[in-house]
Amino acid sequence: MVSILRDLRYILIENRMGLIGFAIIMFFTLIAIFADIIAPYNPYELVGPPYTPPNERFILGTNDIGQDIFSEFIYGSRISLYVGFTAPILSSIIGTILGIIAGYLGGYIDELVVGAVDVMLALPSLPLIIILAAYLGPSLNNIILVLAIFGWPGFARMVRSQVLSLRERAYVEAARATGAGSFRIMFRHILPHVVPLVIANIVLSATSAILTEAGLSFLGLGDPIAKSWGQILRRAQVGHALHQGLWLWVFTPGLAIALLGTGFTLLGVAIEEKVNPRLKHSRR
Amino acid sequence: MKAFLVRRIYTSFITFIVVIAIVFLLARMTGDPLAELANDPRISPATIAALKAAFGLDRPLHEQFVNYVVNLFRGDLGYSLHYKAPVFDIIMQKLPYTLALLIPSITLSNYLAYTIGIEIGWRRGTRLDSVFMSVSMFIRSTPYFWLAIIFLFVFSVQLRLTPIFGAVTPGKSFSLTWDWISDYLWHYILPFFVMTFRGFLSELIYVRNVVVDVLGEDFVTTAVAKGLPEKYVKRKYVARNAMLPIVTVLGMRYAFIIDGAIQTETVFSYPGTGRLVYEAIFNRDFWLLQGAVVILTMSVIVVNFIIDLLYAYLDPRVRYR
Repeated sequence: MVSILRDLRYILIENRMGLIGFAIIMFFTLIAIFADIIAPYNPYELVGPPYTPPNERFILGTNDIGQDIFSEFIYGSRISLYVGFTAPILSSIIGTILGIIAGYLGGYIDELVVGAVDVMLALPSLPLIIILAAYLGPSLNNIILVLAIFGWPGFARMVRSQVLSLRERAYVEAARATGAGSFRIMFRHILPHVVPLVIANIVLSATSAILTEAGLSFLGLGDPIAKSWGQILRRAQVGHALHQGLWLWVFTPGLAIALLGTGFTLLGVAIEEKVNPRLKHSRR
Repeated sequence: MKAFLVRRIYTSFITFIVVIAIVFLLARMTGDPLAELANDPRISPATIAALKAAFGLDRPLHEQFVNYVVNLFRGDLGYSLHYKAPVFDIIMQKLPYTLALLIPSITLSNYLAYTIGIEIGWRRGTRLDSVFMSVSMFIRSTPYFWLAIIFLFVFSVQLRLTPIFGAVTPGKSFSLTWDWISDYLWHYILPFFVMTFRGFLSELIYVRNVVVDVLGEDFVTTAVAKGLPEKYVKRKYVARNAMLPIVTVLGMRYAFIIDGAIQTETVFSYPGTGRLVYEAIFNRDFWLLQGAVVILTMSVIVVNFIIDLLYAYLDPRVRYR
């Protein structure tokens, strides 16, 4: 417990990168939590004439059908954060369970998992994600599902290689000697030791999950009902925002995606530096 | 080397078949490709049945799959209902534009990432390093299409330096080949710049981290302790040992570059294969979408294959394993 607190102290206070990253993520999380209070309008309601340039009523103007872009932007933080967290968490759950089982039990199960991971990692995921999303239909949960399908092998490989060395440790042997079953050893004794690295990778994968969602939305494969930042950009592109001189409509959501992505990367790198023993020497 | 080559061709082939199977099953599971036509009251059920027979959709699934694969190797990717032309012909017509954009852009961005990555890795912890790292982290978090739109807005709309869309000026007749080339290059420069800029800065962070890893090795400490000149250590000890992991990483980046090509071409209305993907989604032209994805996927597999050969060439341990 004390060591976790010490790690947290290092990641969030002593490491400037981690601190900045955490601050950025908290900023957008607060926006998402208090969206009802911050946003002046309902993002789905037609509140003004279409293509209104920014003014004091509509800070970022209105879109092609007269919805307030600023309110859309505020509520969009919820969707983008939701994708950024759920897709990697889902991948990590599948990947961690399979990785631990394969690494600890070995044998046929290990070969099966390793084989599946190898095939999955060899597949070019992005074109396949496009076609999967196209056939599954436009829904946010489908996008998350697709991201998880292609996300778990990375986690499984990483966890398995950790478990291979962990299972030889003395404390695992001690647990086995006291008569603990495989299941108990895997999930009570080994799991806690892989969790920090898994968390670092969840945070690091969040950026690409958010970017993929935005990219799919831009191509017209996103969920038109869940207004993510990618959806706002899609609307701006289809509605010729730049021709109308509404450049804030395009600028703001993209900048927010980039900032949030940077935040996740900074925090992820800071955590990884702390928990991955291989990276200890990387600072002079 | 020969055994390695054979093994590698075999795994590439398996990967390809798995991809085809996924694409095929997805297409067949999610509905009848002729459903749109069946809803049209002007088309009689007899016509639908005839079409089904013509496309082989009335046969059992495994027979359809074998047919699909055989046709694929014959260059038959189906028929685009929107363009009213064979998918293969449409893609082949657009592919040169994409390749002319991708290959120079990948080459230049890899070169820049490699040379600059070694320099900033060597200067880790300095101000220069942190500036490059922050810019790199930010740029790789921007959506490709958004970056393209911003560049388009600044250079084409505001400064009027570059054209807004297309690969050549539409409707313009060119008296000289040179006129065509200069017009083409004028349209080419901005999409090329966007892809190279983002590609280079996204790769930089990986190269730098690999270099920092190598710098922690004992042989580097020894080389420095021996009093070898800095330049020599950097070139002969660090750059060479960093090369292997860098090749792997840059190879893995290729799939992301495809994604970038799709988005960049879409923003610039550039007539390449990437733009085709966008149009196929827009027009619900599923055969075209399938075809474009299969071709792009194939290119990823081919690139991975080449990277592996390069890897085996650079590292004898891989060959003799």
